[in-house]
Amino acid sequence: MTDVLIALAPASLVSIYFYGLPVLLLLAVSAAACILFEFLIHKYLMGSKTEFNGLSAAVTGVLLALNLPPAAPWWIAVIGAFVAIAIAKMSFGGLGQNIFNPALVGRVFLLISFPVIMTTWSAPAGLFHNVDAFSGATPLSIINEGVKAGIPANEIIAAHNFTPLEMLFARTGGSVGEVSAIALLIGFIYLLVRRVIRPHITLSIWVTVAVMTGIFCLANPAQFSGPAFNLLTGGMLLGSIFMATDYVTSPMTAKGQIFFGVGIGVIAVLIRYFGSYPEGVSFAILIMNCVTPLLNRLKPVGFGRK
Amino acid sequence: MKKTFKIGGTHPKDSKLSSEISIETLPLSEKVYISMAQHLGAPATPVVAKGDKVLVGQVIGEPAGFISGYVHSSVSGTVADVVPMPDLAGNMVMHVAIDVEGDEWDPAIDRTDKIVTETSGTPEQLIAQIKAAGVVGMGGATFPTHVKLAPPKDKKAEYLILNGAECEPYVTADDRIMRELPKQIVIGARIMMRALSVEKCFIAIEENKPAAIDAMTKAAASFVGIEVLKMKKKYPQGGEKQLIDAITSRQVPSGALPIDTGCVVQNVATALAVYEAVQKNKPLFERVMTVTGDCLQNRKNFRVRIGTPLNDILAAVGGAPVEGNMKYISGGPMMGKAIVNLNATTQKGSSCLLMLTEKQTLRKSESNCIRCGKCAEACPMGLEPWLLNKLARVGGRYDDLEQNHIADCIECGCCLYTCPANIPLLDIIRINKAEVMKIIRARQAK
Ligand code: SF4
Ligand code: SF4
Repeated sequence: MTDVLIALAPASLVSIYFYGLPVLLLLAVSAAACILFEFLIHKYLMGSKTEFNGLSAAVTGVLLALNLPPAAPWWIAVIGAFVAIAIAKMSFGGLGQNIFNPALVGRVFLLISFPVIMTTWSAPAGLFHNVDAFSGATPLSIINEGVKAGIPANEIIAAHNFTPLEMLFARTGGSVGEVSAIALLIGFIYLLVRRVIRPHITLSIWVTVAVMTGIFCLANPAQFSGPAFNLLTGGMLLGSIFMATDYVTSPMTAKGQIFFGVGIGVIAVLIRYFGSYPEGVSFAILIMNCVTPLLNRLKPVGFGRK
Repeated sequence: MKKTFKIGGTHPKDSKLSSEISIETLPLSEKVYISMAQHLGAPATPVVAKGDKVLVGQVIGEPAGFISGYVHSSVSGTVADVVPMPDLAGNMVMHVAIDVEGDEWDPAIDRTDKIVTETSGTPEQLIAQIKAAGVVGMGGATFPTHVKLAPPKDKKAEYLILNGAECEPYVTADDRIMRELPKQIVIGARIMMRALSVEKCFIAIEENKPAAIDAMTKAAASFVGIEVLKMKKKYPQGGEKQLIDAITSRQVPSGALPIDTGCVVQNVATALAVYEAVQKNKPLFERVMTVTGDCLQNRKNFRVRIGTPLNDILAAVGGAPVEGNMKYISGGPMMGKAIVNLNATTQKGSSCLLMLTEKQTLRKSESNCIRCGKCAEACPMGLEPWLLNKLARVGGRYDDLEQNHIADCIECGCCLYTCPANIPLLDIIRINKAEVMKIIRARQAK
C-alpha cells in the first residue's frame, strides 16, 4: 500500500504544481477524512480487536481527491470520503470485503449529487474555462480539432501558450489527477517494477479502447474521436492504472483480469460515444466490479491438469 | 539457455552465506542416537540390543516393508539402549543409542580416497547394493532410492534427472559436494542410469552456483549421455515436478507419479551416496550438512555422522550465536521444519541446521485477505491458496477442498511467502491437505 501511495505521488505533485494549494488541501482533507472514518468505524462500530492500519484508507483518500475537480470545495472531499469508506467499504465488512472500488463509489455519488461542482473544471493555466464540453482535452486534441476547423497549428500553439515544459507534462484539463499523462505513466511503471500489480488489466483496457475507437474513428472520423485522444483524456489513465487494478475489486487470475480489462474498455468507449456523460471510465469500472466474483471462478492454469 | 518451470514461483533472497566454506568433518560425538524412521515408509526394525558391540557401517535396523530401508551404525561402540525418543520433528520414534568407542569401520568398506570409475553389475545387482547401503533421497523427502530405481513393470524410465538446484535459501551442502566431489556424483549418476537402463541423464543446477556448474560440467565431460543444465534461479526450481517440467516440458499429471512422465529425479547428494554404496561398499551413515544463519559467524559445511545430537553441532560452532530465543530449522527456511528440541539428532535427510533470531521468525500480524491474487500467481501448482484458505476456515468442506485440488499442493510455501496480508496459508493448507488425503486414502481402500 505504501508503494501505491508512492506511485500516486508524481500525479499529485504535478497537480499541486499546476493548481497550487487548493489541490494540496483537497488531497490532505480527503486522505485524512478517509483514515478518520475508517478508524472510527473499525474501532467503535465494528469493535475490531485487530491492529488498525490506515494505509489502505489513505490510498482511497488520495484516489478520491485525484478524481475531484481542482476547484472543488474541501467539504466535498469529506462527503466523498464518508461515502467511500463508510458505505462502499466498511458496510461490506471492511478491508478486503467490498465489491466496489470505494474511491469510485465516492466519486460517482458526488457526480450525481453535486453535478455542477463536479463538472466545473478550471484549467491548469487558467486558459480555458468551461472545458466540461470536451471533458478535459489534451493539447494534441486541441491542435487536432483546430486544424480540422481550418486554423493553422502554429497559431493554436501560440494562442494556448503551450511551452515545452507544459507539453512534456501533457497538460490536460480535468480532474486533479488527470493533469499529466506522464506522471500517471511513471506511477504505472513504478507499480510494475515493484511488482505491486501485473500489467494485464491496464493493458487490456488500453488495447480494447485503442482497437475499438480505432475502428469507429476510421469508419466516421467526423463523429468519433480516435485512439490517442481517448487513451490520453479524461480519467482513462488514472482509472486504468490505479482504479481498475485495485486488488480487492478486480479479478485474481490472469484470465479474469484480461476479461475484466476488455469489459471496462468496451463499456467506457460505449458510454463516451453514446452515453449522456462525456466520461465513462468510472462507470465502466464499477460495472465490471460486479462481475469480479464471477470472473474469479476462472481457474488459473493448473499444473498437470487439463 | 537457462531452463525453468512454467507456472508460478517466487524469488526469496538466496542468502547462500556458507557457499565458500569447504566441507569439514565434524568431530565424533560421545554418544549418538540413530532414528529408525529416517526414510519415508515403514520405520526399520532394530536388529541390535543393549550391550551389543557395533562397527561403523554395521546394520542396526532392517526394512519393515516394501517402502522402508536399512539403517546402519554411524559409529563404533556399544549399544546403550534401544528406546523411543522424539526425533527432529518431535515425533516419538525408536532410536538406537550408541556409546562411541574409537572409530572402527566395517573392514569391507573401502576407506581410501581413490576414485573408482569403472562400473559393472546388472541393474538388479546395483539396486540390491543401493538397498543394502540404506540409501534414501537426501534432498529431504527421504524416499528409499532402491524403490525409485525400480519402477513398476508397466512404466518405463527415459531420463534420470539429478537435482542439484538447491533452490532453498541458505542451504549450501549440495553446492559444496558438487564442487568438491563432482567425479563421484557423476559416477553415482552413471550407476543409477545403469540401474534404470536409461541413456540420458540431466544434472540440473541453479545459475547462482557457477562454480558447481563448472565442476560438474568438467566431471560429466568424459561420460556419454550426462548433461549439465543451468537453471534459472527461481523457487521452487528443485521441486521434483517443477524440475521435470523445466527440463522436459512434461507435466506430471495431477495424482500421478513422476515416473509417468518417464523421469526419475534423484538428488545430487543421493548420487554421491550411491557412488559410495556401490563403488566403495560404504553404507549411508554420514552426510554433508550446512550449519548457517545470518546471526552465526562460524558457518560450516560439516560432514556429519547420522545420529549426531544437534547440541553437539551447536557446540562445534561455538554455541547459540545470540542470547534469547533462537529458532532452529532443519532444512531451509521455505520448506524446513522447526526443531522442537536440540537433543534430537541428525538424519539422512538433514541437509541444513539453520539458525534464525526471534526477530527473523516473527510473524507479522495477519490481516484480512485483500484478494490480491498474489498467492495464486506464485503457486507453482496452479492452485488458489486464498480459496483453499477461505474454504478451510469455514471448516469441514473437504469435498470443496478436494475439488480445488488441495491434494496437488507440494507444500513449497510460495503462497505464504508472497501473501501481503501475512496469512499463514501454508500452515492452514497443510493441515487440511492431510485431512483430505486421509479421506482419499480411505475411499481408495474401499
Ligand atoms: S504451498 Fe501449496 S498452495 Fe502454497 S504455493 Fe506451494 S503448492 Fe501452492
Ligand atoms: S496473497 Fe494473501 S491477501 Fe493476496 S489473495 Fe492470497 S491470501 Fe489473499
